[in-house]
Amino acid sequence: MTATWTSRVRERAEGSFPPEQLLPDRQPAYMASWVYVFGALTIAGLVMIILSGTVLALEGPQWYHGSRVGHFVNSIHLWSVELFFFCMVVHLWAKFFMAAWRGRRAATWVTGAVAFVVSVATAFTGYAVQSNFDSQWITTQAKDGMNAVGIGSWFNVLDYGQMLLFHVLLLPVAVVALTGLHVLFVRRRGVVPPIGSEGTVGPAGHWAGPTRRYDVLKELTVAFVVIAVLAVGLSIVFSSPDDREVTVQQWARAAPNDFVATATAELDGTSGSASYGAPYNHNGPGQKLGPLALQRWAGVTIPIDSADVFVVAPLRGVPGDAQLSGALSQWGGAPADQQGKWATDYDNALQKAPDNDPSKLTGGDYGPVPVMTGRLLQLAQSGGLDGALLAQGRFYATDYTRPLLFIADGTYLASLAQDQHLLGSQWGMMNETGRYPGQAWLWLYTFWYQVKPFSSSGNADALVWAVMMLLTLGLIFVPFLPVVRSIPRWVPVHRLIWRSWYGRGA
Amino acid sequence: MAPLLAALVNLNKRPYYIHWGVIQLSAANAVVILLMLVVFAAAVLVPFPKDRGE
Repeated sequence: MTATWTSRVRERAEGSFPPEQLLPDRQPAYMASWVYVFGALTIAGLVMIILSGTVLALEGPQWYHGSRVGHFVNSIHLWSVELFFFCMVVHLWAKFFMAAWRGRRAATWVTGAVAFVVSVATAFTGYAVQSNFDSQWITTQAKDGMNAVGIGSWFNVLDYGQMLLFHVLLLPVAVVALTGLHVLFVRRRGVVPPIGSEGTVGPAGHWAGPTRRYDVLKELTVAFVVIAVLAVGLSIVFSSPDDREVTVQQWARAAPNDFVATATAELDGTSGSASYGAPYNHNGPGQKLGPLALQRWAGVTIPIDSADVFVVAPLRGVPGDAQLSGALSQWGGAPADQQGKWATDYDNALQKAPDNDPSKLTGGDYGPVPVMTGRLLQLAQSGGLDGALLAQGRFYATDYTRPLLFIADGTYLASLAQDQHLLGSQWGMMNETGRYPGQAWLWLYTFWYQVKPFSSSGNADALVWAVMMLLTLGLIFVPFLPVVRSIPRWVPVHRLIWRSWYGRGA
Repeated sequence: MAPLLAALVNLNKRPYYIHWGVIQLSAANAVVILLMLVVFAAAVLVPFPKDRGE
């Protein structure tokens, strides 16, 4: 009888994954260390994240921000993430010191390391969609790293809708798939034997020495109970941070002088957004990686004309204000160099004024700029500018690029972040608001920004990303790196892990 | 149920930071990293139960 595709796949699967390997009740006798439980604990953490995340998805953001039960489930989600990374890092350390890639197990290491990297990305998108102050600050800072290497042209961290879909669908599917693949590789090749005992394997590479009882389902169940108790317990004791987001209205009321100065900088083209370059406009060269202008090459995919988007267009929507209409007509009818002169002169005068207060300016010809920025301040203080910046010509809006860029152009958001130790120079990317632990797993990424040449380079983001990409590739391909893959043999941690096995013959 | 949903320990306070040369670490992150090292060391050093069924 001719074999069908289906029968071939089934025979291949049965040969690679016989039932006693997929659901083992015996394991090699050398598996007698607590470090082995951290793989199961990591899977339990992932299950807990998915369960709590599913409840959050069922109820939605308004629920987990606005109700105590919702915030409690949100806390469980956060602590599950912390526990997941905690266990995964301990698992990773243990597997490194065991040189767990030996005996045709490189694919097991590679899938595990890629799962770790994708998990970091998933957690990052989670922090980006908290829709609170922390996510505002994290995204406005992280965009520079993404943009510097061209990723930001399509992966827009300021686009809440895009990040939410990445966080609840695309990246979790990838993490679950990679984890499943990783476990299948573990089951196919078996758990790596102690260093020096590689000879005790059968023809298929499986352990042929003594074994001990093992119950994989019991281990997973106990691991889940442990993680669930810890996640719920930590949520009860510590809850989770949720500092309210900053609105344009809040900024305009709390720091009106900073607001007017920022609006003026949008008009004269000196604000961060106005002079940014790709992906927002062509007004800046963008960062480079040596000769590679990745940022510029990625193109202007999220066009932002700062003067028009942040100032002129919102003002056009203000009805019944003859003075404003006249100012906008004067601005629109003037040539670009005249517009630039008015705005620049006003910007310079504001910087010299006491407290940068527009009301303390004397004299000067600033054309329509004082009226425009003054009316924009009124619009912002009334709350109207929040909606105007978010509106994208449609009823539903999920892209916060414009309001976030505008708020981040001022100094108010940064001053709040500085109080919370969230600035880049304060290792802010790995910090959380209040006294909560943050993304500690970003320590190396954050570290590079603190040391030269990165700390003093205009291309810091591109350089740090390049270094982290190289190091990430190094982590993934440890089994193939000549010196690194030998470190576990030189460092005798493996002798402690397998001491009962090594001591059997003594 | 309501009391269970409020934090027993309020961490929404001004954070503590550890400064050591170029390193600037929040106390919370430092505790997590230290715990990881302690747990790893314990997992390696604490004897694993013998198989009572053998």
